[in-house]
Amino acid sequence: MSGLANAQFWAFVGVVAGIYTIFALGLQIQFGFTGLLNFGHVAFMAIGAYTMAILVVKVEWPLWISALVAILVSMLFGLIIGLPTLRLRADYLAITTIAFGEIIRFIAVNQQTLTGGPQGTINLTGAGRASSYNREWLDFQGWAQDQLEVILGDHATRDVTMLVLIWIVAVALIVLLQFMVHSPWGRVLRSVREDEDATSALGKNVFSYKLQSLAVGAAIGAIAGLFFAFQFSFFSPQDFDPLTTFFAYVIVLLGGTAKNWGVPVGALIFAFIFAGTRFLDFWPLSEITSADRAFLRLIVVGLILIGLMAFRPQGIFGKKEEMVLE
Amino acid sequence: MSAQNGNGRILELSDVVKHFGGVAAVAGAELDVRTGSITALIGPNGAGKTTLFNIVSGFYKPERGVISFRDERIDRKPPHAIAQRGLVRTFQITKALTKMSVLENMMLAAPNQPGEHLWRLVLTPRASRSREAEVREKADELLKLVRLDRLADDYAGTLSGGQRKLLEFARALMSDPTMIMLDEPMAGVNPSLGLELLDHMKRLQEEQGTTFLLIEHDMEVVMNVSERVIVMNEGRVISAGPPDEVRNDQAVIDAYLGTGRRPAAETEASE
Amino acid sequence: MNELLQLIANGLVTGSIIAIAAIGLSLVYGILKIVNFAHGEYLVFGAYVAFVVNVTWGGHMIIAAVAAMVMTALLGILLELGLWRPIRRKGAGIVSLFIVSIGLALVLRNSILLWQGGAPRRYDVDVFQVYDLGPIRLSLSQIVVIVVASVAIVAVGLLLARTTLGKAMRALSDSRDLAAVSGIDTDRITAHTWILGSALAGLGGVLQGLVQNAFEPNMGFRLLLLIFAAVILGGVGSAYGALVGGLALGLMMEVSTWSSLPAGGVDAVYKPVVAFVVLILVLIFRPQGIFGRARTV
Repeated sequence: MSGLANAQFWAFVGVVAGIYTIFALGLQIQFGFTGLLNFGHVAFMAIGAYTMAILVVKVEWPLWISALVAILVSMLFGLIIGLPTLRLRADYLAITTIAFGEIIRFIAVNQQTLTGGPQGTINLTGAGRASSYNREWLDFQGWAQDQLEVILGDHATRDVTMLVLIWIVAVALIVLLQFMVHSPWGRVLRSVREDEDATSALGKNVFSYKLQSLAVGAAIGAIAGLFFAFQFSFFSPQDFDPLTTFFAYVIVLLGGTAKNWGVPVGALIFAFIFAGTRFLDFWPLSEITSADRAFLRLIVVGLILIGLMAFRPQGIFGKKEEMVLE
Repeated sequence: MSAQNGNGRILELSDVVKHFGGVAAVAGAELDVRTGSITALIGPNGAGKTTLFNIVSGFYKPERGVISFRDERIDRKPPHAIAQRGLVRTFQITKALTKMSVLENMMLAAPNQPGEHLWRLVLTPRASRSREAEVREKADELLKLVRLDRLADDYAGTLSGGQRKLLEFARALMSDPTMIMLDEPMAGVNPSLGLELLDHMKRLQEEQGTTFLLIEHDMEVVMNVSERVIVMNEGRVISAGPPDEVRNDQAVIDAYLGTGRRPAAETEASE
Repeated sequence: MNELLQLIANGLVTGSIIAIAAIGLSLVYGILKIVNFAHGEYLVFGAYVAFVVNVTWGGHMIIAAVAAMVMTALLGILLELGLWRPIRRKGAGIVSLFIVSIGLALVLRNSILLWQGGAPRRYDVDVFQVYDLGPIRLSLSQIVVIVVASVAIVAVGLLLARTTLGKAMRALSDSRDLAAVSGIDTDRITAHTWILGSALAGLGGVLQGLVQNAFEPNMGFRLLLLIFAAVILGGVGSAYGALVGGLALGLMMEVSTWSSLPAGGVDAVYKPVVAFVVLILVLIFRPQGIFGRARTV
């Protein structure tokens, strides 16, 4: 693939960044606003994607209804996770939510008739018969592309269309989150993050607010899952491993927890590092095999996490006075 | 807004027991608080006063005992439910929300905010907004009362210890509570402001029938302001009555002498 | 019945490995009050050190195992001095430390991947040698695991119960402040705890590599969740609890597949899910675990 000037490359980076932005915004509500160390967030993405795909392919529902139900199912799962775990201390909550996420992945891998098994959704109607949930979406995307051509002419490719659609949703969500963080509801969440006892003493049902935070985060995670599904046309269980959640944490921490406009910045940096090191071939990247590059990327991610915690826990845009990580 | 119990007792505790790691912090506490009174809770260090507050406000669950507030049992209820019923408390080591502004601390404390409920925030934005404006007004008033109004937009974390005590006091008033439990409300507060607080307490008591229960070590405050004093020692209530009676009660003198202290004005560490 | 006995034997094997690793995690938790998410990677590190000694250099498995313990202990102490201690000094809280441990896990795992690649590895041992003890069939590796694990557990138990170091470690685990006040050099004991915990992790990794036949760097994460479940089951902060929790969990995982159970038992692929479910149930109904005291969970 050619170098940095390739527009399609950038469109792809932008799409990935958009998906990660939405995903990270869901985490922002849970962790950034409310202080919940949910490390199973990727499960919401998986449930959103799989529920939609299963409903479209197996039950043959229309896409938009399936998508809506997928979001609701994800929220329900958020409540199910929350009930036993929300009373736990932060690091216990983290590992327990990872366990929940892994259970979901296990089910996705092993319940072949339901989910298509390890090969993923291509097997949803049985092995050997490539199935797709994407038809209605592609129709819609085609329509959107036609509208976009009026403005952008030849530049309105499939990737660019997806880029625009995703970012319209992403920006809408950021605006929504801004409204929420400054609302009385958001005020209670932030209070829960800092001091649960003080919040209880003021008459607020802390447990209920944590559940709400999980549910809203789950809904947004599901939306990210839907876009992931639409972008890649098929997916499999290994697309939803704990690493994805770790990436979301890096993005949220980079941007500054509870700084909503920092999330897309973090996501863009992230997507660029990832897509860039995968597809760009100038020196020194050209010296390293692609497998090794993958490992190096993750080492860098790990170092960023450690570095952030050690030196700049408030992230790029956060304020030290608002740091509540302790 | 007075809250008459059948027998004039707004808070009643009977046989309350709480252990920590084998030690009885509260060993069968028995007391009552008269409706609309200002009552002081005193006792030497480690007597169990703050633990008692924590139990009554729902933060600790007692192993045994009955606690009634306005004739309703509250001993198994969670803290937020107790606060919602009109019994609020402040903390000895202040719990100001340091990463939020002083004003936000205040506004958080107001009850009945539709904007705090997600569906109402979305479905009835106008109701949320107007309540928010009301809450803001009241917060401003109370902040002026405790002379913190100029600091309204500052992070609560920048406040001094005494200022945080004032903030907690004002915050407790936001919900127009029926009864307030104050844990060392004067500690670290400058004396003239402290006197203003006491005046305000008395006014609230007269005008609204608010009941006050305060843990206090400053005996001047105790003697001047409280109609009734309850004394705890080693997890039990050893005396209760008007200040002068209690002061001369041999059991009380023994308790304080026994720990090498006298019931005089003193600085106090946490329990 | 024979099937059950075999499953119990397998469960003891699995359980011993989890127990050894869990004791290590529990010891570290006891002193530092944080869950070291990178603990699984310490196991993997040990497994690969042993691989290099045993396969790449042709050394005997025993030397490989010892080397693994030594090198992992070294890794543990280096990380304590270079990472954990400085960050603790900065006043990092539970959440920060946990996130740091996640970052560390990523760095360790991918460094090993960079070093050795992701292809499954195997030790140079005879995998076909089996022994029949009555109705139970065990491979040489499995027997070695049980023997070595038992010896290690007894040794650790004696260390904790009888030696001054062990008592200091337990004191520190109970209350850091009290221990410091009573003249215990907390830094030194912390260092020793890391050494012991890491060495145990390294040993656990080697044993797991033996039993698993083929291993690769991602096994650390899978084991970590099981180890965590064992620690929770046994009671956080209790090394003894970690031992019991590990064995109990191993047994539960294996016996759950017994075909005489209703619905024919759990499908073998879902064994880890059994562990996760146990973890969740314990946290709901008895968060302090079997031996723990009801507190900071």
